[in-house]
Amino acid sequence: MRTELSTIAIGQTVILQGINPQHPMRKRLFELGFVPGASIRLLRKAPMGDPIEMVVSGTHFALRQQDMQHIWVQK
Amino acid sequence: MSTTVQARTVLVIGNPNVGKTTLINALAGTHLKVGNWSGVTVEKREARFDLQGVSIHLTDLPGAYSLSPQTSEEIIARTALLDTAPDLIVNVLDAGQLERNLYLTLQLMEFGLPMVLALNLMDEAKSKGLNLNPRALEQELGVPVVEMVASQGKGVQELKQHMLQPPLAHKYQVQTPASLQNQIQQMCEIMAPYPKLLPYSRSFLASMLLEGDTTLRSRLTITGHQKVVQEADRLLEQCTSQGIDPFMDLADVRYAEAHRIAQATILGHEKRRTLTEVLDGILLNRALGIPVFLLLMLGVFRLTFSVAQPFVDFIGGPLQDTVSGWTTAILNVLHAPSTISSVLVGAVIPGVGTVLAFLPTLLVLYLAMSFLEDSGYMARAAFLMDRLMRSVGLDGKAFIPMILGFGCNVPAVYATRTLENPRARLVTSMILPFMSCSARLPVYAVFSAALFPRMASWVVWSMYVLGLVVALTFAAFITRLLPNSGSVTVLELPPYRLPSRQVLWKQGSRRTASFVKRAGTTVLTAVVVVWFTLSIPVQLGGHFASVAPEQSLFGWVSSLIAPIFSWAGFDTWQATGALIPGFVAKEVVIGTLGQIYLGQQAGGVLSFGLLDGLQNLFSGLWIALQQAVAAIPGLIALPSFFVSVPDTSQNNLIAALRQGFTPAAGLAYLVFVLLYTPCVATITAIANEQGRKVAWITVAYQILTAWLLAVLTYQLFKGLL
Repeated sequence: MRTELSTIAIGQTVILQGINPQHPMRKRLFELGFVPGASIRLLRKAPMGDPIEMVVSGTHFALRQQDMQHIWVQK
Repeated sequence: MSTTVQARTVLVIGNPNVGKTTLINALAGTHLKVGNWSGVTVEKREARFDLQGVSIHLTDLPGAYSLSPQTSEEIIARTALLDTAPDLIVNVLDAGQLERNLYLTLQLMEFGLPMVLALNLMDEAKSKGLNLNPRALEQELGVPVVEMVASQGKGVQELKQHMLQPPLAHKYQVQTPASLQNQIQQMCEIMAPYPKLLPYSRSFLASMLLEGDTTLRSRLTITGHQKVVQEADRLLEQCTSQGIDPFMDLADVRYAEAHRIAQATILGHEKRRTLTEVLDGILLNRALGIPVFLLLMLGVFRLTFSVAQPFVDFIGGPLQDTVSGWTTAILNVLHAPSTISSVLVGAVIPGVGTVLAFLPTLLVLYLAMSFLEDSGYMARAAFLMDRLMRSVGLDGKAFIPMILGFGCNVPAVYATRTLENPRARLVTSMILPFMSCSARLPVYAVFSAALFPRMASWVVWSMYVLGLVVALTFAAFITRLLPNSGSVTVLELPPYRLPSRQVLWKQGSRRTASFVKRAGTTVLTAVVVVWFTLSIPVQLGGHFASVAPEQSLFGWVSSLIAPIFSWAGFDTWQATGALIPGFVAKEVVIGTLGQIYLGQQAGGVLSFGLLDGLQNLFSGLWIALQQAVAAIPGLIALPSFFVSVPDTSQNNLIAALRQGFTPAAGLAYLVFVLLYTPCVATITAIANEQGRKVAWITVAYQILTAWLLAVLTYQLFKGLL
C-alpha cells in the first residue's frame, strides 16, 4: 500500500520512497533532493491551505497538495 | 621573457541561490558587464580583467540544479559548457546544502576539466550548526576546495590564485550504473569518429542522450550527428524494453555518491534554530502572514508615492523650469529665432523632462524589487499568495509584479522574469497595464477635486480597485484561451539573507539606465511630435509655433477622433486631445489638459539668470529631499483612505474642468484613462519581454476595453450623478 505525502499530517516526519513515474516534475523533484531515503518533515500550511511548507533533508520547500499526491512515503 | 599575454577562460556555475552573484561581484568588481544571452531575456554576466599579467575572461552561467536541463536557464548553462573549452570551471556550492549541490558537481566532473569548488556561505552553514571538513571533500573528488564567504570577501584571493594557476584536470571517475555500462560504452564508440563532438564531453553526452534529453537531440541533429541520435534512440528503446529507466539509474548513482561524499565531509551537525526559522514563524504564520505581506506591499507602493514623487515633482517643476529659463536666457542673448526657442523650450526640454521624471520611481521600484528577491522574501510572498493567484489562473509569484505595477508598469513587466513558467509570464505581462500606475494619479486627483469634491478619496480608490478587477478578469479569461502548459511549481524557500548594498545598487542603477536607453528616444520623439502637431496651423492666418490649440493640427485631429466618445460623454476635442499625449506618459494628460484649457504655457517661461537658476534648483532639491525623508516613517503606518487633494495651483484647471465635463462624463473619462493603452515606455517593455505581436495585441484590447467600460460608466451614471 502506497502512502501519499498528501495524507500526512502537519508536523510529522516521513521517509520518501518514490515518486510516481507519470508525474511531469519527477526529474526536477529528484534533482532538488526528493530522493528515496530522504526525510520529509511537514512544517506548515499556507494561510489558504495550499501550498504546504516542508523540510527535505535540510532544505525548505513548498509543494501543492495536488502534487503531493504523487510522492510516496513511509512513516 | 615571454611577451605573450596569457589568457584564461573561466566559467562559473552553481545552483540558484548560492550567492553566485555576490561572488562574481567580489571577483570582478567594476569590470563586470551585464547583458543578455543571445535571443533570450536571461541576464548574462561577464567580466574581463587582468590578474597579475594574466587576462581572465569570466562568464557567469545561469543558476542550474542539474545539467539535464529543464529550464531555459539550464539549457543556456549547458550549451555554454559544451560550446566553450574553458580553462577552469568554478563550481559554487552552498556549504549548508552540500548533498543537493554535489549532484550538479558530479555531473560537472564528467567533463574531466580543471575544476575548483567554491564552498560558499560558510557562515550560514556555521549558524546552522554544521561542522564541515573541506579537506575531506578535496580528497574525495580530487579537486581544490576553497572555503568562502563571498559577501565578506573571504576566500576571494585564494580563488583568484586558482584562476591564475588552474589545477590539473582531475582523475575522478563518476560511476556508471551497472545497468547502463554497456550502453554508454557503445555510445562513446559511436561518437568516436566525430571530431566536432568535443572529446571531453563524450561520456557526458552519452548519459544525457540515454536520459532522453530532447534538447540535445535537436542540437545534434542540426549539427549533422543524426547517427548518434539514432543510436541513442535504439539503445534507449533497448533499455525500456528491459525495464531499465536510464534517468533514474543515473540519478540514483549520482545521489548515492553525493550522499556518501557529503557524509564524509560533514563532521557534525548540531541542529540549531536559525534566524530564518524564527522569522518564518511570523512571516508565514497562518494569521499574520498575509497581513504582514500586505503591509510590506503597501510600503513598497507608498515608496513610489511619497518618497519618489517629490523628486519626480522636482524634475518636472524646478529642474525643468530652471533649464528652460536658462535656455531662454541664452537664446535671447544669441538673438535666436523664436521657432528654435519654441522647439527647445516647448518640446525638447519637456520631452527630456518626461523621460527623467520616470527615473526616481523606477530606481526606487527596482531597488525594492531586487531587495525583496535577493533577501528571499519573494519566495515567501509566492507561498502566501499562491492559492489566491491560482484561482484566477495566475502564478503565485505574479503578485509581486502586480504590486510593482501600482508604482510603475515598466519595472513590473521586467519583474515577470521571476516567474518560471513562460505562459504565466505572458499572461501577467498582458494584464499589468491595468494596474493603475502612479502617473495616472494626478489625473484622478484633479478630476476628483473638480467634480467629486466630497468623495474624492473614494473615487480614486475605486479606480485602483477597478483596475485590479479588470486585470484579474482578463487573467482568468486569457488563461482559458491559451493551451495548458501544465506547470508544476516546486517552490524553494531559501534562508533569509541581507543583500549586499553594492549588488543592489548596481542592479538598480543598471536597469534604470537601460530604461533611459530603450524608452528615452521613443518618449522624446513622441513629445516632439505632439509639440509639432500643436504648432502646425490648420487654418489660414495662423503662424507656426504660435497658434491656438484648437486651430492646430493637433486640435484638428482630436476633433476628428472626438465623436467616438459621444456615448461616453466626453466628445469634446479638448478631452480627446489630452488623451493622445497620454500614450507617451500618462501624467502628460493633466499637463496637456492644462495647456488646452488654459492656453499655451510655453509662452510664459521667464528667462533665468545663472544665480537665480541655481537658487531655484537648490531650493527645489532641498524641498524634494525634505518631503522624501518626511515620508519615510509613514511607509509602515496603517493605510489611510485619505488621498491628498492637489494644491491651489490647480484651481484654474479645476474650474475649467467643471465647465467641460459633467460628473458622469468625468468619471467615464477617468475609467478611460485608467484602462486605455499602456504608456510608450511600458509598450516598449512588453515588446522587449514578450515580442511585438503581444505588445500590439495588448494595446488593441486595452483601448477596446477602455472604450467599452467608459461608455458603460457614462450610460450608467448619467442619470444618477
